[in-house]
Order: sequence, then C-alpha cells, then structure tokens
Amino acid sequence: MKILAALILVSSCAFAQTKVSGVVKDTQGEAVIGANVMIKDSYDGTSSDAEGKFSFKTDEKGAHILVATFVGYKAYSNSISLDGKEVVMNIVLQEEANVLDGVTISAGSFTAGEEKRRTVLKPLDIAMTAGATADIAGALNTLPGTQKVGESGRLFVRGGDGNETRTFVDGMVVLDAYGAAAPNTPSRGRFMPFMFNGTSFSTGGYSAEYGQAISSALVLNSKDKAESNQTDIGILSVGADVAHTQVWKRSSLSGKIQYTDIRPYFGLINQRIDWITPPQALEGSAAYRTQVGKEGMLKLYGNFNRSSMQLYNHDILDPAKKQSYDLTNTYHYGNASYLQPLNENWNMRGGLSYTFNENAILLDGKPIGERESGTHTKVVTEYAANDNLEWRMGGEMIQRNYEAYQLNTTTQENQKLSFQEVITSGFTEAQVLVHTKFITKAGGRFEYNSLTNAVSVDPRLSVAYKPGKKGQFAFAYGMFRQSPKNQYVRLNHALQSEKAEHFILNYQVITDRKTFRVEAYYKQYNNLVKFVNGNANNLNNAGNGYARGVELFWRDSETIKNVDYWLSYSYLDTERDYINYPAAAVPTFASKHNFSVVYKHFISALKTQVGATYSYSSGRPYANPNNTEFNSDRTPDYHDLSVNLAYLPKPNLIIYFSCTNLLNNDNIFGYQYSDTQANDGLYKSRAIQQPANQFVFLGVFITFSKNKSVNQLPNL
Amino acid sequence: MKTIALSIFLLLHLTLFANDAKYKEQMAKQIQIVYQAETIEELQPAVNALDRIASAEKTKWEPYYYSAFGSLMMATRSTEAAKKDGYLDAALAAIENGKKINANESELIALEGFVHMIRVTVDPAARGQQYSSLAFQTYNKALNLNPENPRALGLLAQMQFGTAQFFGASTDEPCATAKKALEKFDTFKSENSLAPVWGKSMTQGLLKNCK
Repeated sequence: MKILAALILVSSCAFAQTKVSGVVKDTQGEAVIGANVMIKDSYDGTSSDAEGKFSFKTDEKGAHILVATFVGYKAYSNSISLDGKEVVMNIVLQEEANVLDGVTISAGSFTAGEEKRRTVLKPLDIAMTAGATADIAGALNTLPGTQKVGESGRLFVRGGDGNETRTFVDGMVVLDAYGAAAPNTPSRGRFMPFMFNGTSFSTGGYSAEYGQAISSALVLNSKDKAESNQTDIGILSVGADVAHTQVWKRSSLSGKIQYTDIRPYFGLINQRIDWITPPQALEGSAAYRTQVGKEGMLKLYGNFNRSSMQLYNHDILDPAKKQSYDLTNTYHYGNASYLQPLNENWNMRGGLSYTFNENAILLDGKPIGERESGTHTKVVTEYAANDNLEWRMGGEMIQRNYEAYQLNTTTQENQKLSFQEVITSGFTEAQVLVHTKFITKAGGRFEYNSLTNAVSVDPRLSVAYKPGKKGQFAFAYGMFRQSPKNQYVRLNHALQSEKAEHFILNYQVITDRKTFRVEAYYKQYNNLVKFVNGNANNLNNAGNGYARGVELFWRDSETIKNVDYWLSYSYLDTERDYINYPAAAVPTFASKHNFSVVYKHFISALKTQVGATYSYSSGRPYANPNNTEFNSDRTPDYHDLSVNLAYLPKPNLIIYFSCTNLLNNDNIFGYQYSDTQANDGLYKSRAIQQPANQFVFLGVFITFSKNKSVNQLPNL
Repeated sequence: MKTIALSIFLLLHLTLFANDAKYKEQMAKQIQIVYQAETIEELQPAVNALDRIASAEKTKWEPYYYSAFGSLMMATRSTEAAKKDGYLDAALAAIENGKKINANESELIALEGFVHMIRVTVDPAARGQQYSSLAFQTYNKALNLNPENPRALGLLAQMQFGTAQFFGASTDEPCATAKKALEKFDTFKSENSLAPVWGKSMTQGLLKNCK
C-alpha cells in the first residue's frame, strides 16, 4: 500500500509546476488580444489579455511545443522545455497572407468570385447589370479599361482590337468566344454567366500562364459539383430554355437546351436591317463534374450551337440594289480539366479543349465561308511551400486548322486559303511574399510557332506593396504576343506574332463594401500587320502603335441601404499605324473618354430588384474618304441609359424585364462609305447603328427543386 | 509483486477517472460560457479553452462542437463582414475536425448548417442562393442522421421562416416545423451528459411569430 500511496503522490504532485508567460504581438508590433496560447496536446494554456500578455502554469514536464493561434493569423509554434523554471516567450504572429487584409497582386486585374472576401464584381453582378443583357462581356464593359464598341459586342481593352482579348475556360483557351452576328451587329458571348463562380478580367499585365492575347485575358472558372437537383424553365420573349441538374454523391450533371427565335420580336419592333429571316439559334450545353479518388476533381463541359440568319445588304449609292446575305454558324466546344492534389505542397492540373467553328455564308447564293478547329492541351504543376512561396510551371500546345473557301463564279472552282499552326509553349512563375506588406510575382513564357519557326521568350512581372491596412500600390510589366487575325495569316504564313508591352501602375483601397482604384498604363504595340503600299494582299509586320491612359473605379454598397453602385471612368490616348492606315492614327474602335454608372437597388417591400446603367463614350474616329486627313472625323458622343427589373413574387419564380437605351438615343458607331463617288464627286455615307435603338426583353423563370427557395436569380 | 501490479492497475484507473472528471468539469465550465456570453471578448477565451481541450482529447468531438458554436456566436456578434467570415471559417474548421472523429454526429452536421445560414446574412444578395440551399441540405442531412435532433429541426424551421418571410409566402410550413421541433425539444434525451441543449428558446421565439 505504501507503494501505491507513493505512486499516487508521484503522479499528482511530484514535479513543480512551470510558469509560462510572455506577450503576443503581430508583425506591426500591435498586441494581439484573445490569442490562444497553449502547450500542444494538453489542457494547459490561456488567452492573451488586452495588452497581448499571457501567463499560465502547467504540470507538463520536459520537451513540449508551445502553440499560439488567432483568427486571421498563421499558427505559431516553438519548442520549449518545462522544468520548473519560468519560460518567457515573446510571440510574433504573422498575418495570414491573402486573407482579410493581406497584400495581393492587383495591377491590371478585376477578379470576381463568391469565395473571395473582397472582390470587385461578383457573378451575380454580371447577371444583374442593366444593359448587359446577362452577357459577360456586356457587364465587363461597365468596368474601366474597356471601350464601348456597340456594333461588335466584344471586349475592346485599352486601345486593343476585339480579337486581342482572349477567353479561357478553366484555364483552357476558347478559339471563338462570341456567337455569330450579322455584319455590324453586336454578338453575344457563347458562355452564360451562371456557369461560372469565378471570373478574372485582366486588362493587362497578366500571368505567364496566359498566352496568345496581347491586350486582355478573360479567365472564367466553372462551378464545382452542383449541390442539389433542380429543373429550370425559362419562357422568354425571344425563345425558351430548359435546364436540369442531377446530383449524385460524388458527381453532378447539368444540361441546358435553349432555342432563340427573334422573329416574333422583330415583327413588333422596326429594325434598321432588312431581314429575310431574323436570327434563330438552337444551343445546348452540358457539364459533368466528378470527384476522383480522395481529392481529384474532373470537369467536363461541352456545348453546341447552330444559328442562322438571312438579310439583304443594300448598296449605299443605290439603295434599290441589294445583295442577299445568308449566314449559318455551327459551333462546338468541349473542355475537360482535371485537378489532382499530390500532397500538401504539390498540385497537378491539366486539360484538353476542342473548338470547332464554321461560318457558312451565301452571298447572293454564292458560297463563301471559313472553318476553324483547334485543340489545346495543357499540364501545370503547382508548388506551394507555404503562404510565402508559390511556384508553378506548365507546358501547353495550341494547334489550329483554318480554312477559308470561296467559289470562283467564272471558273466554278472552289478556291481555298488555309493554314495549320502549332504553338508549343512553356511557362514558369513564382510568387513570393517577401514581407507581409510586399508581394512579387515573376515569370516568363516561352513559345515556339510552327508556322513561322519563331521562338520567343516573354517576361512577366507583378509587384504589390501595402504600406498600411487599406491602401495598396502595385506595378505590373509584361511582354505579350499573339498570332495575327486568321484573315491575315491565311494570306501570308510568314507573318510574325503581333506584340504588346504593358507597363501598369495601380493604387487601390478596398474596404469591406467599398472599392476605390486608380490605374495608369502605357502600352507599346509592335509587329502589327501592315498592308504594304496599301495592298491588302501584300502583308508584313511593319505596323506599330501605342496606348496610354488613366482609369478610375469606385464602388460603394455601404453608404445607402440596399443600394449598390459603381462608377468607372477611362481616359484613353492611342494611335496605331497598321493595316491600311496611311500613317499613325486613332483606330476606329477607340474613344477618348468612357464613363459608366451602374446602380442596383433591392426594394424588399416590392420583392423587386431595380437596376440602371448609364454609359457614355466620346466620339469615335471614322475614315471619311471625302476628307483627306485619315480617321480625323468623329462620330457623335454615345449615350445609353438601360434599366432592368427582377420581380420575385414566389421563391421559385422570377419575372424579369429589361430595356436598353430607355431614352431612345440615335447612337452612331461609325460610317460606311460607298466604294465609288456619286455624281457630285463625293463618296456617300451610311451610319452604322444598332439594328434597333432599343432592345426590350421579358422573361419568366421557374425553378423546381426539393427546397422551394432556390431560384434562377443567379442565372439571369 | 501483486501489490505493485494492483497499484499500477489502480493508478491507471484513477488517472483515467481523474482525467475524465477533469474533462467533464472543464467542458461544463466552458459550455456555460459559450451559452451565456454576450460579447466577443467573453467568447474568445472560452473558444480558446475548448480548442485546448480538443487538442488534448483526441477522441472527443464535443470540444470541437462547442468551439465551433462559440466561433459562430462571435460571428453573429461581429459587425464587420470580413471578420464574420473569419469566425465562420474557424467554426467550419472546428466542425471538420469534429467530423473526423465522428462523421455521423447529427449535432455537428446541424451546426454546420447553422454556419451556412449565418454565411447568408453576411451578403444576402450575393450568397443567398448558394448558401441557403446548402443550409437546407445540411439540416436535412442532420435530420437523416437523427430525426429526433430538435436543433436540426429548429434551425430548419428558422431557415424556412426566413425564406417565407423574404418572399412574403405563407409561414404555415415553417410554423409546423417549429412546432414539431418544440415537441422534440421536450422529448429529446441523450446519454451524453455533454450533449448540446440549446435552441429551445430560439424555437419558442420563432413560434411567437406564428398563428
């Protein structure tokens, strides 16, 4: 019994307690209040007080690990020895990078995502921006850095042409991201905003991972596995759609079929276009997501689209003379991407995409058209040592087959112009958090083009510095290149890639529900395609140009309750000497001043969200053959006030109404001129305008699901 | 020899017993604080203490549960969206740790649904659809694991009520759920002395809006 007593004694109080004390501070030297300080795997510990101080006693003995944790900070741990002598520790907690108030790479990019705490634009914003008609490009056109080019519908960024913005879905390139449209009418993006939970729109200085884009990269990340079964039905003034999502334990499948027929609508509203058959389209898409193994994720996405339209083009000099134009567009896109975490530090991801696009045109019955198909394969390895160091490298191959055909009416022979291009590239990039206030990302991109046999290496660099809690300065530099437009490469296979060099300076302040940013940039274009002596069949790379400007952005969803608004202003100064330009001149798509206000107000009592967007662009240049100075004329300024309204009478029912150009402005995008002079010796002009000043849209959306609160609001 | 063996045996038992008593006592103390505390300043030390208990007691899900509950309470009492999200992240991390110990614990799953529900309130316009559907789904999962769990039912009623109110729809369904939940609160029994007991007054409060 003596032994027992002794043992009990030993077990309970044989060793003296050790006192552990000290203070917890952050890297700025501020006390961290309420941090959890403890001996790992034991009960012993305490919370730091109002001065960051802590003190506790422990019965543990020998070598142990002291841990300190607090929300928003990285866990601290250090080995200590407990032997009865007081241990005094001064603990410095490092703020968790990229969370809450961390410094982030910001120059040139707008990111939108559900999960990011402080994002400039959320997916819902894209859907609910008035005037955007639920088109991704339409919503992004309310951000600084973009120019309104009403007859195109594409993203024209910082003095760049529409084809200089490239779309990527889950990292994979999309060869033609916009639907077919009649000449001088806006096209819509082929991807519906509801598919994506993350959008990153970069107006310059983007990562080395993205190539073949000299002005802008639009990176769309598709949603992960769906969470619930549901069926959606939409009845629209211009068609109908039905979608269904089926969910299994580890996978989900969503499909959507949409039929668009503008005929009934065009019957009601007078159009400037002399339609034979207004556009109609059938499109379908499907997405399958499945978990593979413990952490792997496989995403498959595919869509098809077939659309057609027929119209008459009238001669400018003699409007009675007309030519029929019949367009049928066939489009398929498929994309597979796979992500596999290898271990805590290593990730592998890869993908494969395939695009097929054909525009078959009949000009007065004469076939003329073009066909492009391409594949993109990519493999990326990512390594994250910790929050301070991330590194990635990857390889990719973009292979394109292009063919244009035309029937020669005299010889009855089918003339063809084609090319095959393979671009093999590799990239590497490292992101280093030098200090909690300073982050840098540097990398490079290597490319080999099989058509030109050219090898290139382009550097990319971004740095950001956050001196205080809110404001952040950033700088980005990069060299970017892309193959010239198909219409040029098909004539001259030896054309080199067009190049742009970006320099960007950015300052931003993002608080909980307010964003302010100002950005200035300079962009130098080289190797642009140029017509030799004005001959469109003789091309070289002698073109060049520049663009510079300042942009402002302000968003506030805090000051007025239930109201969210943003303001964008872009100033652009640009000139190019390329294609048929006789000398450096402002290109026809560039306007000096662009301004937008987007306003959204949710009125709970009416269960209605009201939105309005006002856009302004100063006049755009156009080439007037009656004026000896090239591109020196300007169109009138552009004004547009658009509104939308979403009424939710029931959780699963939405009635949506939108109207563009409420004030019915006669906006003119440019002028077309006759090929020959009229009797008075002058070339006659015709204004390029919207097919109709206004577009009115009404839709009813119904959702069936197990829980009745789900609706299609985010899908609109 | 016998004595030594016996004493070691007894000692082991005593220590285990002592540890269990210490665990229960410490838990009871902190649980009381997370139930009653009004401010983040009071809640944070309790959450910290619960995290310490969780780190020492490798086989118990309850410390994680109450740590998550405390973090959730801090989220509801914080005024800044980014901070709220930070607390909710912490709550979710604790719940995930608890699920590693007992993946089929209905109480943990119900609490997970609660986290999603609070997530909605941070930015209803942008998060409403995603997180409310996630909350509904998680509550139903908790009820599948234990149809008798009054908290899962009470929270589901709360969620149904909020949705009905938002859309001005009839509150018949949420009120029926709340009534059922209240019955379950009265009959709910657990052999676990540390099992959660909160939620009854919340459901009673909800029922005041019914009739």
